[in-house]
Amino acid sequence: MSNYNEPNKTGRFGQFGGMYVSETLMPLLIELDQAYSKIKKDKNFQKELKDLFNNYVGRPSPLFHAANISKYLNGPKVYFKRDELNHTGAHKINNCLGQILLAKKMGKTRIIAETGAGQHGVATATVCALFGLECHIYMGSKDIIRQKPNVFRMKLLGANIIPVESGSKSLKDAMNEALRDWIKNVRDTFYIIGSTAGPHPYPKMVRDFQSIIGIEARAQILVQEKKLPDFLIACVGGGSNAMGLFYPFLNDKKVSIIGVEAAGKGAKTNETAATMTSGTPGILHGSYSYVLQDSDGQIKEAHSISAGLDYPGVGPEHSHLKKSQRAKYFGITDKEALKAFQLCSKLEGIIPALEPSHALAYLFKAFKNKHKNKVVILNLCGRGDKDLFTAAKELGFDTDE
Amino acid sequence: MNNLDKLPSKNILSLFMTCGFPSLSQSRKVFQTIQNNQPHIIEFGLPFSDPMADGLVIQEANKLALKKGLSTNQSINLIKSISKNKGDTSYVIMCYINTVIKYGVSQFIKSIKGTVDGMIIVDLPFEEEKDIREQLENNGIYLIKLISPMTDSNRAKRLLHKSKGFIYYISSTGITGSNKLNHKEINQNIKIIKKHSSIPVLVGFGIKSKNDVDSLSKKTLTDGVIIGSALIQMYFDLKMNFSNYLKSLDKFIKNLKIN
Ligand SMILES: Cc1ncc(COP(=O)(O)O)c(C=O)c1O
Repeated sequence: MSNYNEPNKTGRFGQFGGMYVSETLMPLLIELDQAYSKIKKDKNFQKELKDLFNNYVGRPSPLFHAANISKYLNGPKVYFKRDELNHTGAHKINNCLGQILLAKKMGKTRIIAETGAGQHGVATATVCALFGLECHIYMGSKDIIRQKPNVFRMKLLGANIIPVESGSKSLKDAMNEALRDWIKNVRDTFYIIGSTAGPHPYPKMVRDFQSIIGIEARAQILVQEKKLPDFLIACVGGGSNAMGLFYPFLNDKKVSIIGVEAAGKGAKTNETAATMTSGTPGILHGSYSYVLQDSDGQIKEAHSISAGLDYPGVGPEHSHLKKSQRAKYFGITDKEALKAFQLCSKLEGIIPALEPSHALAYLFKAFKNKHKNKVVILNLCGRGDKDLFTAAKELGFDTDE
Repeated sequence: MNNLDKLPSKNILSLFMTCGFPSLSQSRKVFQTIQNNQPHIIEFGLPFSDPMADGLVIQEANKLALKKGLSTNQSINLIKSISKNKGDTSYVIMCYINTVIKYGVSQFIKSIKGTVDGMIIVDLPFEEEKDIREQLENNGIYLIKLISPMTDSNRAKRLLHKSKGFIYYISSTGITGSNKLNHKEINQNIKIIKKHSSIPVLVGFGIKSKNDVDSLSKKTLTDGVIIGSALIQMYFDLKMNFSNYLKSLDKFIKNLKIN
């Protein structure tokens, strides 16, 4: 078996990926790729990042044996990789720290980002505050309403929030606007993309920064179980928390890898975000990957209760892992995710974000009374604070009282 | 025979318009008005749901066209129907890559062959273009090169090697419709381009008026201009009164052509 070595120099994961952007951005993307390749090997950079991971984020995040859920399942032994304990409440901060150090090295003074759930926006605003850089966050107006607590957080952190009114007023449109901003301000601006999406080198770079999750989990499970896990499960929006967990295990062929997408009201309906179940290959936001599109290549609006998964595209590496059958992908509906959100809260005393609730729902669905004596690591990549209002509304609880 | 090979060496006028704007039947009249004025080049924009290099005006035009369900086939048929009066005008399609990929590259080329002289694919940079460029050229269609203020001389040299038709110089970093014209920077960059290529250089993005056109011709070495957003903006300025729009559009273009 040959070792996994994607992407190639032009940013291809198998046939997926690439750099489909206008000429104005190309010289900068090439410069970014070179700067990243150089910094990756730089000992000082690695040291600085590790120090921030340990002392600012609170890494390593624990690998927790979820005994109650394991018992409830009557199936595998389940571990949570607890990136929800990170500073700012999700895995997004791992990537933001890496990218802001790179931005500083490249002499950029202005930071922009897109955000859906607001977690990436909060993480970006946080690192900008830490390093004293100007910060502008694009956010769909629909997401501004459903992720209110995070909007206030970003403002407290000193970020300027720019509401996006176009299209579906969610993550896809926020990314369009951020790209337009970047084309205009390409000379002084660094675009911190929040997932393993976008043009090369972002999918590779974001994966590498997030792979701390899988590196830690692999070492932790070898200590706690004295063996590798049988299954990895993670939710997939653009795919960064999932790639972060999966990547260090890709050469461990006996480890089964499962990505869980948001199927909204159902993968066969028009209200879904399950790109790899319901989509076809195409080009969105600079890379060739699965997308939700019509027969003319017009991008469809995605739908999910979870703002962080509400995206009609997916990172190209996931398309490659699907095509090469190294990973399998499944869809989970809004309803199933909400149920898992409640069940995990009650059983483990951990309120998960709606995004990893999709991964949990798949666990509850596919592992009940099955896979005994197996070990599962599930990426609990975010906490549920930001979703309390959305969940309360869905569950008929009046938060004004 | 490719009409782009017959472009004059100076004062080239290229007009951009979104297909299906504001509706398919009205769009036919818009393009007829443009064609009747015989500009050197007409750029037919194919609407895309996520036009990341376009400003608000062209975004809005795309949205209107798509809301009425415009398909790629309808756009291509529209271009063909206008082409009956094509004469020496060059036809160029401007679009995003996903539209072509989804249609099927060879299918797409087959259906525009003989009508369209060139293609501008906004999000298909040099690094990704080889396959499509070759297929286009084998069918007598030129892939038009975009050069931006960010493109340095070395990169321009590589990009412009064997370029055909004309060169699209993006007047400044930014999206369509937005920018202020910096004549000095534009002229410096046109000089660099002209070192590496002998085909005409046209300046586009942010050209709004006869005044802009005149000052560009006077203050820079440009061989021509591309006007897009301004032609669409007029429709909204006229409160979407279509018959007024056609008259104003006609007048605007006629005025541009007076030297
Ligand atoms: C907690 C959490 N999980 C997952 C996601 C989805 O992104 P990705 O697929 O890149 O991990 C988000 C995005 O906002 C998030 O906030």
